[in-house]
Amino acid sequence: MKKYMIIYRECAKISLSRMTAYRLDFVLSMIITLAGNVMFPLITVLIYNSGASFPGWSFYEVLLIQSVFTLSGGLSSMMLGGVLWTTMDHIREGSFEIVLLKPVNPLFFLIASNFEPESFGLLVGGGVLFGIAVSQTGIVSFAAFLQFLMLFAAGFAVMAGISLIMAATSFKWVGNSRIPEIFDSIKTFGKYPVTIFPKAVKSAATFLIPVSMIGFYPASALLGRLIPGTLLAMIPCVLFLLFGIWLYHYMIKLYEGVGG
Amino acid sequence: MNTIKNKLNVCKAVAFVTYKEWSAYRTHSMVSIFVGPVYFIVQYYIWTAVYGSAQTLYGMELSQMIRYFGASALIGYLTMDFADWNLSMLVRTGKFLTFALRPVNHRFFALSQKIGHRMLGFIVEFIPCFFIFTLLFRVDMTPASLPWTLISVALAFLMNFFINYCLGMASFWFVQSNGIRAVFSLISGVFSGSLIPLVFFPEWLQVLQFFLPFQYTAYIPVMVFLGKYSLGSVELSIPVVVTIQAAAVLVVFLVSELLYRASVRRFTAVGA
Repeated sequence: MKKYMIIYRECAKISLSRMTAYRLDFVLSMIITLAGNVMFPLITVLIYNSGASFPGWSFYEVLLIQSVFTLSGGLSSMMLGGVLWTTMDHIREGSFEIVLLKPVNPLFFLIASNFEPESFGLLVGGGVLFGIAVSQTGIVSFAAFLQFLMLFAAGFAVMAGISLIMAATSFKWVGNSRIPEIFDSIKTFGKYPVTIFPKAVKSAATFLIPVSMIGFYPASALLGRLIPGTLLAMIPCVLFLLFGIWLYHYMIKLYEGVGG
Repeated sequence: MNTIKNKLNVCKAVAFVTYKEWSAYRTHSMVSIFVGPVYFIVQYYIWTAVYGSAQTLYGMELSQMIRYFGASALIGYLTMDFADWNLSMLVRTGKFLTFALRPVNHRFFALSQKIGHRMLGFIVEFIPCFFIFTLLFRVDMTPASLPWTLISVALAFLMNFFINYCLGMASFWFVQSNGIRAVFSLISGVFSGSLIPLVFFPEWLQVLQFFLPFQYTAYIPVMVFLGKYSLGSVELSIPVVVTIQAAAVLVVFLVSELLYRASVRRFTAVGA
């Protein structure tokens, strides 16, 4: 365990050094990544400014959902965002064997060596939006905050599972740069209050591909609006992550490279 | 006459080769068959919920809003391009030199490539999604006026191309133009009307859109499809708005021509 922590720390330091070698490019990338991902709160602002609303949800409550989504997105992008593209590049160039020859788990190595500091802008932006939303809605209780932390972790597990499934897909669907679009479209269901969707969609977004856990349920916990039994919805999230890890390792077993 | 015939032959040849080249990667385009309907479903439920207690929002009924997003998605498949990325790659790698030596204007070549690429997009993206929207989701995708819609979409096709080509030409001037393109893409995404109808923006921003190129790529063709155009408290008839769109395309074409001449004069590469 200690070995893995040391390797992760060193890889993160290298990534940070690489990013700060071109400081202006780093800052611009951070700003652009942030701006791109706060566009959907802009849509919410425009909807509420028109006098309309999502039934049963105030503007700041919806903003809270979207800020939690952005925070989760920022964290997963920072830690796992590069795994898909690096895997794809290695497979296309036939250099994945070099990763497999390393004396550590290949998935861990790819995660550690693809730490992306420019996604820090998303965390900052999400944090600001979160602060604004919470200042208006308040947090119901400390217990609610603890529930939020647990559900946020479950939401991160879903994001991680999605990243790993995308990366696993690239073993077979080689060179398709539109794989993230497929999962981004599914994640859109998690950016809005899940109560606006019909029961079938709600169930799928909670238990099958649990994208509602990314933003909606953690925010609901903070607002004291969780229905009893919602914590059980964490189980599909953990299973989703485990499935992503299993699928990636399974694809490695099926991998046939030049000379391998 | 011979010049026009020659250009048409070049256009046909390049478009056909591009079509064949990209049909080897047709699954790349076919991703839209999944992604487009999923995004549309989300928009459907969002606006159905938002319209819960309102008959109209900024003069648009729920059915019009649903048709708006359906038309926006389908028109996007016909007009999208990546001329900026292509040109940027050619300049950065020095491969633009081969085009500078050919007796074909690269902008014309790139436009012909876009025609070929979008022909493939029409077959593997537009048609399947059109049937999904009309038969599965039961959305009325009949345009208010087919001839005006076709003209407006064709103008949006050209507008999108010229804007992206102008952006691509930034590579002649800046070593790293990715940031410029990313910022422009972001602003364009918001103000083109593909995320939300432009009438939702504050009035001063709506008025500003008349002087920016973004609404001519998505908002105008979608409103022509719906048969009703209004922006910044100004309501215009469809023939008038399409004429304004044509004028805007002409202006951007002239800007791209000036930029192209300046860029080629500036261009240097190994051996040139």
